[in-house]
Amino acid sequence: MNDYSVIGRSIPRPDAWEKVVGGRGYPVNLRLPGMLHGTLLRSPHPHARIAGMDASRALALPGVKALITPADVPRIPYSATFFKPATSAAVVRDMLILDGTVRYAGQPVAAVAATTASIAEHALELIEVQYEELPAVFDPEEAMREGAPEIHAGVRHNVIGRPTYSLGDIEAGFSAADHVFEGVYETQRVHTCYMEPRVCVADADAQGRVTVYASVQHLFGLREKLAFVLGLPVSSVRAVQPPYIGGGFGGKLDLAPIEPLAALLSLRARRPVRIEQSRYEDFITSSRHPAKVYLKTGISRDGQFTARYARTLLDASAYASEAPEVIRVHSRFGLMLGYRCPNAKWEGTLVYTNNMPGGAFRGYGAPQGCFAVESQIDEICEKLGFDPVEFRLKHAPRCGDPHPSNAAWKLDSYGFDECLVRGAERFGWRSRAKAASGRGVKKRGFGMAAQPLWVSGCLGAPDTYEHSGAIVKLNTDGSADLATATIDIGSGQTAVLCQIAAEELGISVEAVRLSGGSTDTLPVDAATHASRTTYASGIAVKAAAAAAKKRLLEVAETMLEASAVDLEVREGMVRVKGASAHAVPVADVVKRAESPFVQITSKGTMQTVLAEKGTIIGTSSLAPPRNPSPASAQFIEVEVDTDTGEVRVLRAVYAHDIGRVVNLAGAEGQVEGGLQQGIGYALMENMRFEPETGACVTADFLNYKMPTAVEMPRSIESIFVETDEPSGPFGAKGLAEPCLIVPAPAIANAIYNAVGVRVRSLPITPEKILAGLGKI
Amino acid sequence: MMQLVTLEVNGEQHEIAVEADGALLAVLRDGLGLIGTKRGCDTGGCGCCTVLVDGRAVYSCMMYTLSAQGRKITTIEGLAADGKLDPLQEAFVNTGAVQCGYCTCGFIMVAKQLLSETNNPDEDAIRHAIAGNLCRCTGYHKIVEAIRLAAKGG
Repeated sequence: MNDYSVIGRSIPRPDAWEKVVGGRGYPVNLRLPGMLHGTLLRSPHPHARIAGMDASRALALPGVKALITPADVPRIPYSATFFKPATSAAVVRDMLILDGTVRYAGQPVAAVAATTASIAEHALELIEVQYEELPAVFDPEEAMREGAPEIHAGVRHNVIGRPTYSLGDIEAGFSAADHVFEGVYETQRVHTCYMEPRVCVADADAQGRVTVYASVQHLFGLREKLAFVLGLPVSSVRAVQPPYIGGGFGGKLDLAPIEPLAALLSLRARRPVRIEQSRYEDFITSSRHPAKVYLKTGISRDGQFTARYARTLLDASAYASEAPEVIRVHSRFGLMLGYRCPNAKWEGTLVYTNNMPGGAFRGYGAPQGCFAVESQIDEICEKLGFDPVEFRLKHAPRCGDPHPSNAAWKLDSYGFDECLVRGAERFGWRSRAKAASGRGVKKRGFGMAAQPLWVSGCLGAPDTYEHSGAIVKLNTDGSADLATATIDIGSGQTAVLCQIAAEELGISVEAVRLSGGSTDTLPVDAATHASRTTYASGIAVKAAAAAAKKRLLEVAETMLEASAVDLEVREGMVRVKGASAHAVPVADVVKRAESPFVQITSKGTMQTVLAEKGTIIGTSSLAPPRNPSPASAQFIEVEVDTDTGEVRVLRAVYAHDIGRVVNLAGAEGQVEGGLQQGIGYALMENMRFEPETGACVTADFLNYKMPTAVEMPRSIESIFVETDEPSGPFGAKGLAEPCLIVPAPAIANAIYNAVGVRVRSLPITPEKILAGLGKI
Repeated sequence: MMQLVTLEVNGEQHEIAVEADGALLAVLRDGLGLIGTKRGCDTGGCGCCTVLVDGRAVYSCMMYTLSAQGRKITTIEGLAADGKLDPLQEAFVNTGAVQCGYCTCGFIMVAKQLLSETNNPDEDAIRHAIAGNLCRCTGYHKIVEAIRLAAKGG
């Protein structure tokens, strides 16, 4: 435990009270007077030129109020990525709101707004589109071949980029190796599966200003991208913050077609327009990019890395969107920086295909790398007889080392070794059974994997928003209102940020309420992504609370006849330090500040002074000073049925250097949910497509399988290593993503331990295991 | 084609015009404003829209409105009708079983049926009871804990 009064406690999320009785605050519930229903017409073809479109019959349908075709949209190329500036050189601007060429099956080609949903649906049927079909390519290797269809004009061999990374002398490193390991590791396309569908209500006023309500992860990103694609100044778009949204996991981190189309329809009809995606539309809006990683590692006789080489082919999909940043994060944090090696080289290739868009998904490129690295380390340890825990400890960075991704920083707090040691101890790693033990057809296996290096935000990434801001306002009843533009996607900042504010203010957490706002009233904030909110928004909230407290103490000076520097706030009381009896409630100080010149109190009338007048308020708008690294280790026990190939995950122990636990139940919830997504990635989730048309055939929850309560292990243990990050709010740093990055290789390694089958492609289906066992 | 029906929802009678081939979910949300019942997929795959019909949990996206006539429908709004939370609702809050919360009401409705049939379900019974509902945030761990806590009387 720590000395804090609020930090580190498990508190119920304030928003949970409303969510258990229905949850009015989800954007999907919003209805406005006079609102129209918007619907999109989508292409059945994966690659086609629109030779003609006749929408006259649709427009003539009674009830149809607006219709948008490719001829009606601004010709402003954009990248859907929210968290980078629209005109950044780090993004590829290859999209239009509606394009004359479609590049994946399901791409929108027109949009209709009508008085009812059924009229809008009927109108779509009346739009006649002449498609001139073009040859399509779905395999990234085929897309790079001579003569492959050109997906974007002028992009030779469909290659968007060939980024590289290099350190030392790779040739010399392999020459010095006593052993060389190599393998190809493939990961599949998966979907975030947020539960609340993407939805947008756009409301254009008489002057053409657009107010927008949407289920997205970045309020200011929504405003900026929407204004950019519409060709409007940012002040002509107002994005309203919902109190919470129904999940995101990266799937709501970029502009979907519905937001600009709802805005255009509303501008045309001058009525609010709502577009709600069907689950099919959600499935084809965003996904984790599939990757093929070739990994080659040189090892000396005494078990030191001498060279690490990797090559990644990333299917960027039909539009580049997040792919250039995904592959950058993949190369650094997924592949190269986690373990020390003097010689390293990586070559990436980003390729357009006619597949549905990729995007962001918790872990952002790292899972594709971690699966390769952590699987191969297991192969190395198995072959050369090293203990997997010891081996990782030997190659991991140490606390105080320069930060591997930015030499200007040090790993000021860093507890990877403690994650490995405590995780191994709790799991019973040393006494684990030998491979393929257990009688009968069911074999138990034990595996581990780690993510030595990760982020608490995006500081250091090229052209990525990373600032946060907050407003803390004290009320005359002693409570505080806290406003930030961060979006609670389920990740728990509704609780965590209130705790940080309460701790700094010296009041109870129940007395702090997170309130809403819009891009008109709130300071700019980066997206809810990159494990950043507790750390980066937390720093801003703490600073705003400190500013409010400073003002509070100034006003309290005359009341307590003491200088502000000698005052403190504890348990809702402003008091003279060291003299606990000399105190006044926070509420009384706020009343004094907000009162007229003569304040009536229980002790009679009291004079106040001009300098004390006004709301006690603190604001902040700042960038975090660092990007401290969390670290994590995962230990997994599985049971493999050698008759059916079925894998059950029986037990998971996860250790994570979190810096400081703010809300224990919330932190555990992150880990447990990350494991669900990790088990899905490892064993079952896989987006499949019809080979001729590229149409998604797993665009519902009957065909897209994710773990239910039955497939989840009964035992999930979270260990939080508290290293007290000096730059973090009360020592905290990032948590959210590594818990999804590490399960897949840990499970693959446990399966190998159980049955001796090494599967290097995800998902590890029963068929792959039975094939490995020689049974099919 | 619209048809006039009478539905009993949370103990109240509602006379309402509905699409003859429409699902109960849309009527609850858009017709009666009972927005605690969520649309997740419309294909009986996620359980966000779970309500009780004569005490049994059903996906309201998969039930014709016409089939619900003459039956007692309970939505999440029917649980805390007197202003006092159901023990399940309390337990979901207190165990941290709510994250994004979009699936929460569906889980509570399914658990409501389970606890009406079984006094003290074991972990397997709870997990199998909620296996028709998806959650992407929690890994189900604290949901199971919440249901167990509520079964013990909070």
